[in-house]
Amino acid sequence: MMDLLEFPAPARASSILRLAGRLGRAIRGLPLSVIVGSLILLFWIACALFGDRLVPFDPYGEDFLATLAPPDATHWFGTDQLGRDIFSRIIVGSRDILLVAPLATLGGVASGTIIGLVLGYFDGLVDAVGARLLDTLMAFPFIVLVTMTLVALGPSNVTVILVIAIAYAPLVARTVRAAVREQREREYVSAARLGGENAFAIMVLEILPNIRETILIELVTRLGYAFFSIATLSFLGLGIQPPSADWGLAVADGYGFLTGGKWWGVVFNSAAIVSLVMATNLIAQGVGAFENVDR
Amino acid sequence: MLSGRTLSTRAASLLLTLWLVSVLVFLAGQVLPGDVGRVMLGPFADAQAVAALNKQLGADQPLLVQYWRWFSAALTGDFGTSLSMRAPVAPFVLQSLGRSAALAGIILLFLVPAGVGAGIVAGLNQGRLADRLIVLTGISFGIVPDFVSGLLLLMVFGLWLNWFPITGAAPDGAGFWTSGYYLILPALPLVLNLTGYLARMTRAGVVEALAADYTRTATLKGLDRSQVILRHVLPNALTPTIAVLATQSGYMLGGLVVIEALFGIQGLGNLVLNAAKSRDFPMLEAGVLVMATIFVLSAAAGDLIQALLDPRQRRRASL
Amino acid sequence: MTKRTDIDALRNLSGDIWNVAVDEYAQGFLRRRDLLKYAALIGLTGFAASQGLSFSGTARAAAGGGTVRVGLGQPTKAIDPVTLTDPASIGVISQVGEYLILDDPKDGLQPKLAVSWEADETAKRWTFKLRPGVKFHDGRTVTAKDVVASFERLVDPNSGSSALSAYKGILSKGGAKVVDDETVAFDLDQSNSNFPFYVSSDVYNAVILPADYAGDFEKTFNGTGPFKLESFRPKQGASFVRNPDYWGDKSLPDRVEIKFFDDEQAQVVALQAGQLDVIPSTTRLELAIDGNPNFKLLTVQASSHDPVHLRTDQPPFTDKRIRRALALTLDREAIVKGLLKGRAVVGNDSPFAPIFPSADPSVPQRKQDIAEAKRLLAEAGVPNGFEVTLTTERAYDIPDYAVIIQNFAKKAGIDIKLNVLPQDAYYGSATFGSSPWLDSNLGITDFGHRGTPDIFLNATLKSTGAWNAAHFKNPDYDTLLVDYGKARDLQAQRLAAGKIQALLLDETPEIISYFSQYTRISSTKVEGVRFTAISHLLLDRVTFVQA
Repeated sequence: MMDLLEFPAPARASSILRLAGRLGRAIRGLPLSVIVGSLILLFWIACALFGDRLVPFDPYGEDFLATLAPPDATHWFGTDQLGRDIFSRIIVGSRDILLVAPLATLGGVASGTIIGLVLGYFDGLVDAVGARLLDTLMAFPFIVLVTMTLVALGPSNVTVILVIAIAYAPLVARTVRAAVREQREREYVSAARLGGENAFAIMVLEILPNIRETILIELVTRLGYAFFSIATLSFLGLGIQPPSADWGLAVADGYGFLTGGKWWGVVFNSAAIVSLVMATNLIAQGVGAFENVDR
Repeated sequence: MLSGRTLSTRAASLLLTLWLVSVLVFLAGQVLPGDVGRVMLGPFADAQAVAALNKQLGADQPLLVQYWRWFSAALTGDFGTSLSMRAPVAPFVLQSLGRSAALAGIILLFLVPAGVGAGIVAGLNQGRLADRLIVLTGISFGIVPDFVSGLLLLMVFGLWLNWFPITGAAPDGAGFWTSGYYLILPALPLVLNLTGYLARMTRAGVVEALAADYTRTATLKGLDRSQVILRHVLPNALTPTIAVLATQSGYMLGGLVVIEALFGIQGLGNLVLNAAKSRDFPMLEAGVLVMATIFVLSAAAGDLIQALLDPRQRRRASL
Repeated sequence: MTKRTDIDALRNLSGDIWNVAVDEYAQGFLRRRDLLKYAALIGLTGFAASQGLSFSGTARAAAGGGTVRVGLGQPTKAIDPVTLTDPASIGVISQVGEYLILDDPKDGLQPKLAVSWEADETAKRWTFKLRPGVKFHDGRTVTAKDVVASFERLVDPNSGSSALSAYKGILSKGGAKVVDDETVAFDLDQSNSNFPFYVSSDVYNAVILPADYAGDFEKTFNGTGPFKLESFRPKQGASFVRNPDYWGDKSLPDRVEIKFFDDEQAQVVALQAGQLDVIPSTTRLELAIDGNPNFKLLTVQASSHDPVHLRTDQPPFTDKRIRRALALTLDREAIVKGLLKGRAVVGNDSPFAPIFPSADPSVPQRKQDIAEAKRLLAEAGVPNGFEVTLTTERAYDIPDYAVIIQNFAKKAGIDIKLNVLPQDAYYGSATFGSSPWLDSNLGITDFGHRGTPDIFLNATLKSTGAWNAAHFKNPDYDTLLVDYGKARDLQAQRLAAGKIQALLLDETPEIISYFSQYTRISSTKVEGVRFTAISHLLLDRVTFVQA
C-alpha cells in the first residue's frame, strides 16, 4: 500500500478515489449471491452494534395496555405478550445470535480441525480409538447431550457455545480427517518427513495450509447451521436467557399464541433467523462451498 | 473388499462404539443431579418418602452398581424395568422405534424423489434459472425450523383446510394405508427441511459426473444425451445421496422430538428425552443404544454402499 | 335468615365453637355461605345440606348419555394414587377414585365415602362414619379396614408416598384405627381443627383403595367412583364407562374418553377441530379461544400462587427494609391485569388468600410506592440500589413474571439479573445445599391450590420448614403459628391470622402479589363440567346441549 502521507494533499484525494475504484471493481467481480449475502449480514451486524440507539421503542419496556397488539402504524411488527415492540426487539435481538453463533462455530471448527489433523495423520491405535470416540459422540442423541450440558452448567451463552461446539467438532473432524488422509500421500509430506520435521510441524506447517479451503468451507457452512441450531435451542429453553430479545427465544415465547391467531411474534422473528441463515448460505455458495462436495 | 476380515473388524468396532455409548450414558447419569425418586414424587415430597421410593426402585445403589446390573442383564437380552413406568423397558422401546421408523419411512418416501429429482434437474441446468431457483428454494425451506413449519402446517392443512388429520397417531387397528396417511403432515416439515440439502448434494454429484472423463467419452462415442445421463451420470450422482441418507437416518429416528410431541407420535426421540428428564436409567440406556445402533449401522451401510459403487472414492469415504 | 328465632335455632345445633361462628354470622362478619361451609367442616353435614348446600351437584333430569372427550397433559410416570403428583394423573384418577370428603371449590366440604364426622374436645381425635353399601369396582364392599389401610399407606415412611410431607406432624403410622365396620377414628399427633381437609380431595393421594392394594393401579383402576375402567394405553389415553353399581346418582354420560397430549398446541388444535370437549387452560391457551363462540372459559378462584422468596440470612436481603423496598416496587393491580389477564386476585405477601375464611381482611393491602422504596433503601444504607440474581423455573407465566419484577425493581435502582432454569434443574434435589430453589437469594416458585393455608404457613415460613427458601427463622412467627394451629373457632383463627399477616408484611420474607384462578376450557356444547383447583375433573354430571 502506498504511504499516503508522502504525497501532497490533492494527490491524496485522487489516490483515495483510485482505491475506491479498485474496491468497486473487486466487488463487481464477486458473484451476486456473495454481495447480497454480505449486505444482509452487514445490516444485522450494524443492528447489533448501533441498533439500541435507533429503535423507536424501548425493547425491554413492557406496556400492559398494548399486549399482543397486531402490526399497525405505531408498532410495525406488533407487540408481544408483555406489550414490548417486536420491531425494536428484532433489531436489538441480533446481538446475541451474532455473538454466540460465530464463537460456537469457531470453537467447533477449531477443535474439529485439531482432532481431524491428529486422527488423519496418525494411523493405528490413535486413529482407531479416536475414530471410535468420535463415532460415539456422533451416535449420542443431540437432545440428550444438550439437556445434560444444560443441567450441569446452567443455561447461558457459554453453555450454548459449548454444546454447539461439541456437536459440530466430530462432523468437522470427519471432513478434516478425510482431507488430511488425502494430503498425507502427497510428495511434500514425505519430503518433509525425510527432512526430519517432526509430526507436529508437518501437521501444522505443511498440511494445514493445504487444507485451508476445506476448513474455510466447513466454517462458513457450519455457521449457517449454527444460527439454526441456536434458535432451536432457545426454543427448547436451553439457551439464551430472558429478557434477551434473542430471536429464537422470541419464537418460543410467541409459539403458544399461534393457535390464538397471534402470528406476528413467530413470523417476524423466524423471518429474521431465516434471513441470517440465508445470508450465510449465499456467501458460502458464492465462495463455492457447495461445489466440491466430498462427504 | 467384502472380506470376512473386514466384516468382522467392522462388527467389532461397531460393538465397541455401542459399549462406549452405554458408558457415556452412565457418565451422564453421574453428571445429572437429582434421582428418579425425587423426580417422580416432585420437589415438595418428603425426603423420607423419596428415599423409600428410591430404595424400592433400586435407585439408591451407586450408579456404577446400577450400570453393572443393567449391563450384565442387557448382555442376556433383558433390558430391565422402567423406573418411572414400572413396566418392562423393551416393549416401550420397540414400539416407539416402530412408530419413528414409520415416520422416517414416509419422510423418505417423499424426500428421495423430490430431492434427487430436483438435484438432477438443477445439475443438468447448471448456471441457468432452473438451477438457481432450485438451490435458492431449497435453502429457504431448509432453514425454517421444524417447530415453526410443523405448527403452521398443522394449523393450515389440518385445522383450517381439514385435508389431513391433526395427529400423527392413527386410531387402533388402522390399516397400513390409513396409518401412512396420518403420518403425511408430520413428515412434511422434515421433507421441506431436507429436500434442499439432498438436492444440493445430488446436484453436486451430477455436476461432477457431467464434467468427468467418462461422460465426455460416452458423448463422443455418440451416445444420445438421455442415455448418457441414465447410464453414467445418475449412478455417480447418487453416491452423495446415499451418504446423506445414511447420516440423516439417525437424526430422523431419534431427533424429531418437537414433531413427535406436536403430532402425538410416541416415538424414540420423545422416549429418550423423557427418560433423561425422569432419570429413568434403564429406559435411557435402552433408548440411546437403539438410536446409536441405528446411527452406526446406517453410517456403516452408507460407507459400504459407497465403496461398492465407487472404488475410487473408497479411501476418502472410509472411516 | 337473620330473624331472631332463626339464629336461636342455629345455636342449638352444636356447642360453643359453632356458636362463635353463629355470633359472627349474626353480626355480619361471616357470610351465609361461609357459615354453611364451616358447618360442614365441623361435621354438621346434615344441616348444611338442608340449607341448600348441594351435595350431589345439580342433578338435572336432563338427557343422559354420550361420551365426554377430555384432553389432558402427559402423566409423568405410572399412575398410582400413592405416588401421585401431576395434574394429568389426577385427572385420570378422578374418574374412578374417591375420597372420604370432596373439597368442592364452591360448596366446600362434601361427604362422599364418609357421611359425617366429629372431633372430640381436644380436636386430637376425629371420628368418621362411613357411607354404607359402597362397593369397589371389583364388587367388594368398602369397610373401615380399607379406609385405615389407605391412610396407613400414605403415612408410612417406607412406602414412597408423595403425601408423607402433607401429614407430617398431623397423622402418623398407627393413627388411623378401625372402630367398627363403618367407623374410623384418627388419633392425631396434635390438635387440628382443620383435619377434615386432610382426608379430603385436597390431599389428592387420599383415594380410598382396597386394603390389599399392591401398587398396580394401572392394571385395574379399581376404585369406588362413578366411572370404571374400559381401556388404558400408557402414554396415549384411557377410556371409562359408567359404573352401574355406583352408590350415588349414576353418571349422566355413558363414557369418558381421555387423550394424553405431549404438546399444548396440539391439544388446542384438537379442541378447535371439535375433537375434544374439555382441556386444561393457561393464559396463552385462553387467547386461542378468545371470542370464539364455540368455547367457554371455566374458572375457579384458588389459592395457587407464585411466591418470590428473599433469603433473609445473607446479603443483599438481610435487612427487612430492603426486602420491603423490593415488595413496594410492584404494581400488583397491573400484574394481575397485564400478566394474568384478570384471572387472579391481588396478594398481600402472606399465604392467607382472600378465599380462606380465616384470612383477616382488615390488614392493609400493600401498594406500589417507589418513593417509599427508595427511602427504605437509603435508610438501609444502599441509596443507589444494588445488584442481585433472580433464579427461577421455566414454567407457566413465571419467566414473564420475572421480567416484570425486573422492570419494576429498576425503578428503585435494584438491578436484577435473570437465571431461568428448566423446572427440574430449579428444584434440584429439593434439599438445602443442592437446590437452586432453596439456596438462591431471590427466586420464584409455583404452588398449587390448597384448601387451607396450613401447609404454606408451616413448610415455607416456619424455622424448620422443608420448603423455607427464604431461610426465615423468626421465633415470633413460630409462636404465632402455634397459636393459629391451636385456635378452635373461626374468630380465634382470624385473630391469629391477622397477627401473622401483619408480621409477614413487616418482615417480608416472601412477596406474594397474586392468587390465581384455576381454569379449564370447554366446548359450549357441554354443561356440568366440574373440577377442583387441584386438577380433579368431575364429569358425572355432564350433559350435552342440544343445538
